[in-house]
Amino acid sequence: MITAALSGNLAVIGYGLAAVGPGIGVGLVVSKTIESIARQPELAARLQVTMWLGIAFTEALALIGLATPFIFA
Amino acid sequence: MSETQKNSAPRAGSAQQLFRSVLVRGSLLSLVVAALGGGIGWIIVGTAGLAGGLIGAAIAFVFSSLTALSVLFGARLPLGGFFGLVLGGWILKLVIFMALIVNLKGADWLDGKTLFFSLVAAIIGTLSIDSLAVLRARIPVVE
Repeated sequence: MITAALSGNLAVIGYGLAAVGPGIGVGLVVSKTIESIARQPELAARLQVTMWLGIAFTEALALIGLATPFIFA
Repeated sequence: MSETQKNSAPRAGSAQQLFRSVLVRGSLLSLVVAALGGGIGWIIVGTAGLAGGLIGAAIAFVFSSLTALSVLFGARLPLGGFFGLVLGGWILKLVIFMALIVNLKGADWLDGKTLFFSLVAAIIGTLSIDSLAVLRARIPVVE
């Protein structure tokens, strides 16, 4: 007996997860950078560069996650 | 320190050099990945593989360069403008990327697997270039 059924495209959940993870990651990177610049404004140039590296890594995960339909479809 | 200086992010002269070198090296690496990915794809799959390799490397290059450019130009803006440009650019890029994928997914002139592996290779390559560049960069605390 089927008590519950799920219909639709599972790939949509994959798209969602690929957006949620990096979204949290970028949010953390940016919030910590803002906090740090507020504490030490003179370090802003350094912190911005470090933040860019953090965003680049998080963004890579998003790009790879969103490109998976090409291999899993 | 004047009021304008207080409210704006410090101008990063050496950061500009860093981003310039990252962009140049990233474009060279993307060319190599495009040649390799396109070449291997062409040998294995044919013309569709060549298209997949080239498009995968191009997408990775455009998207990683846009992040670097947004930080580079954002550093000249006040702090709010900096974060607005970087994060707004990020969202815009992802929306464009999703639209690209939706349009490219069903295309028969394109081999999806070659595109994916070429994209991943180019992304990992540009990330290593970025990390090395940041590790070697000499960015003064106060400019």
